[in-house]
Amino acid sequence: MSKILEANPNTEVLEGARSSFSIKKILYNKYVLYVISICLFLIVLDLFAVLQVFGNFMPRPIEVLTTLINMTVTPLAGKTLPMHLWASLRRVLIAFAIAVFIGVPVGVLMGFSSVANAIISPIFHLFKPMPPIAWISLAILWLGIGEASKVFIIVIGAIVPCILNSYNGIRLVDESLKDALRMLGGNRRQEIIEVIFPASFPAIFAGLQISLSMAWTTVLAAELVGAREGMGFIIVMGMNLSKPSMIIAGMIVIALTAFMISMAVNYLERWVCPWKTELETTE
Amino acid sequence: MENRIGNDGIKNVIECKGISKYFGEGANKKEVLSTMDLSVKENEFVVILGPGQSGKSTLFRMIAGLEKPSTGHIYVNGKEVTGPNPVIGYVFQRYTLFPWKTVMENVEMGPKLKGVGKKERREKAQYFINLVGLNGFEDAYPHQLSGGMKQRVGIARAYANDPEIMLLDEPFGQLDAQTRILMEQEILRIWEKEKRTVCFVTNNIDEAIFLGDRIVMLEGKLPSKMKKIYNVDLPRPRDFTDLAFLELREEITGETELAL
Amino acid sequence: MGENKKNMFLKVLSVVSIVALFLGWQLVVDFGIVPNTLLASPKQVIEMFIYKISNANPDGAVLWVHVMTSLQEALTGYLLALVIGIPLGLAMGWFVVVEGLARPIFEMIRPIPPVAWIPLAIFWFGIGLAGKVFIIWASGLVPCVINSFVGVKMTNPVFIKMAKTYGATDWEIFKDICIPSALPMVFGGLQVALAASWTALVAAELIAADTGLGFLITMGRRLLKPDMIILGMMMVGLTGVIIGIIIDKIEKRLVAGVNK
Ligand SMILES: Nc1ncnc2c1ncn2[C@@H]1O[C@H](COP(=O)(O)OP(=O)(O)OP(=O)(O)O)[C@@H](O)[C@H]1O
Ligand SMILES: [Mg+2]
Repeated sequence: MSKILEANPNTEVLEGARSSFSIKKILYNKYVLYVISICLFLIVLDLFAVLQVFGNFMPRPIEVLTTLINMTVTPLAGKTLPMHLWASLRRVLIAFAIAVFIGVPVGVLMGFSSVANAIISPIFHLFKPMPPIAWISLAILWLGIGEASKVFIIVIGAIVPCILNSYNGIRLVDESLKDALRMLGGNRRQEIIEVIFPASFPAIFAGLQISLSMAWTTVLAAELVGAREGMGFIIVMGMNLSKPSMIIAGMIVIALTAFMISMAVNYLERWVCPWKTELETTE
Repeated sequence: MENRIGNDGIKNVIECKGISKYFGEGANKKEVLSTMDLSVKENEFVVILGPGQSGKSTLFRMIAGLEKPSTGHIYVNGKEVTGPNPVIGYVFQRYTLFPWKTVMENVEMGPKLKGVGKKERREKAQYFINLVGLNGFEDAYPHQLSGGMKQRVGIARAYANDPEIMLLDEPFGQLDAQTRILMEQEILRIWEKEKRTVCFVTNNIDEAIFLGDRIVMLEGKLPSKMKKIYNVDLPRPRDFTDLAFLELREEITGETELAL
Repeated sequence: MGENKKNMFLKVLSVVSIVALFLGWQLVVDFGIVPNTLLASPKQVIEMFIYKISNANPDGAVLWVHVMTSLQEALTGYLLALVIGIPLGLAMGWFVVVEGLARPIFEMIRPIPPVAWIPLAIFWFGIGLAGKVFIIWASGLVPCVINSFVGVKMTNPVFIKMAKTYGATDWEIFKDICIPSALPMVFGGLQVALAASWTALVAAELIAADTGLGFLITMGRRLLKPDMIILGMMMVGLTGVIIGIIIDKIEKRLVAGVNK
């Protein structure tokens, strides 16, 4: 039909074709489809719940909503939902700060010095394949079940992208930019300040971004084992109390937080490196 | 070492004596340039003409001190080249603007590295930005510029550092034909205004004849050698349709076909 | 030559670094600087490894069974993620209706970290194979869908236009142009998905399992046996690396096959 449309744009046939086309168009509109999709999704969930496909373990969407509202005001284990969220966020922020504080300098050092790299990188690659969560038992053994062991695990998870991206960022700085600076009379110190640091900045920043989302994932895992507060604790409580609506409410908050973190970081990125758009469009 | 004087009494600012260059060792050894002698006089406009991958950039990098010749010596202003030297201004084949700096910040980089005060270096940068016709774009970032504009910034950046010698490595290779001709005229205008020694690499015969006082032709296959030198005595501005232009073009084209 | 010497030196340095790490670790435990209840020496870990090869005590299964359980769970979930995620992602990339319907749901699920699925998975599918497979599946699905989706979206529009002018149907364009051009992206997703799956599996086994490497780690803590914990961690790392290498090999084969 669309072929006819192109061939003779002024005929009678066309009018009819166009009107039928427009119904199709409405159906094919992305946003209409999005709304349909979400409605269908909720209806199917509701049906699953009502028909008890998963027994009692699939709550109705409306139940989740009331639980969510309920949890924001009534404390659970002495804390309301925002307080639990803050407990998790606090762990993430502390661990993230430690990871950046250690990881970025280590990565930068590795990027600058092939000797440092030869010493550190084999050890790094020895530890890297072990998922951070696998450290949990040792962490508890060493640091007890409190805050320290949780922060430790998150640091393990968050430090990897910090090191890797700083290392690669420094190492992969475009040689021709260094040449350009040298031809303008720059010495080694100026080369580092004027070229190597700014050129590796986007890569390092991307590392921090990955590191932060890694930290958010890891905090949940850490809180699944022996926590008294935090979002991980909430979903474990939901499991122990057989309250799936609590679990799902927790998951929603977790997902929203993850989403907001990544939005915030993206915004920050555009603000701190406005030239970055080039790297995305030309690469 | 003394400044060397050519037989016509004009100072030789660049002298390459028996230089050659290879990369790698043993089985990976790759010879790029074989023994080559070349001298460039003060205020001369020399064009190095050679096909792709004939070691033109390598030659420039050695003159600039970014690469060491495997044998032989290079002298700039009578002193042997041992490393990058800011008396040489280099316009690279690929755009090498600092993407995190604006046009102004890119152009003022040379003076800034020398410790020139902000006001003074801004003035100087502004002069060259105007000279290459980019006034109004001082605060733009490189990714907001077209290819031709980027290359203009590269040229302004090199000039703003007050070099005595300019090396331009296929600066217009990535531009469309129309912009290219415009830029060629531009570069002559700047050269006439800011007399310096200019060495210019190209693989385009028309560009070579349009610009050069002298054309140094390189052999096509590696290791590359100097094949022939043409003196271009045509008055500027040169006309692509001028008979003498076309004759010279014919001659050079014949040479390159032989080389193939 | 100097270059080669330096490389040799760096290699030696790497080996020295690893040896020093293990030696230091052994000594720290041997001299009681760190109590043996908190850290096992490499020697003890190796002894534990040898012991666990044939002994089911104290955690109820020999090492091989733990490895196989984890592998079986991980691979089942992973393959299901590929089988469902890749076609879904590809279709989402090309068919507006599929994108419109699937994308919002996918975008809702996407930011949920895989470990957050653990409680629900246990509720819905139990603590056995099915529950864990679901978790792995959920964590592997996201990268599979994203990469396939982006792969199709990145298809060169010129090819699509060309096919349209030749009268190819939507389905033909999808099948013959979009899918092949998306394949490198899809393959790229395989490794990402694998890493995500493997991490999620370990987390799941830590919380609810009666065999598997994660369980071995948990048991090590309950029994206060650091040698068992470290053995478990090392097996997790090692197995992860080995599957990674295998996937990489398969990927290379497939890419070579596709290119033919
Ligand atoms: N650092 C290097 N290591 C190894 N080989 C190199 C290096 N630099 C250049 N070469 C080789 O030297 C040869 C000549 O390169 P060069 O860039 O000098 O040629 P060119 O004439 O400038 O080419 P083009 O016209 O593409 O700019 C090429 O084959 C290249 O592979
Ligand atoms: Mg070149």
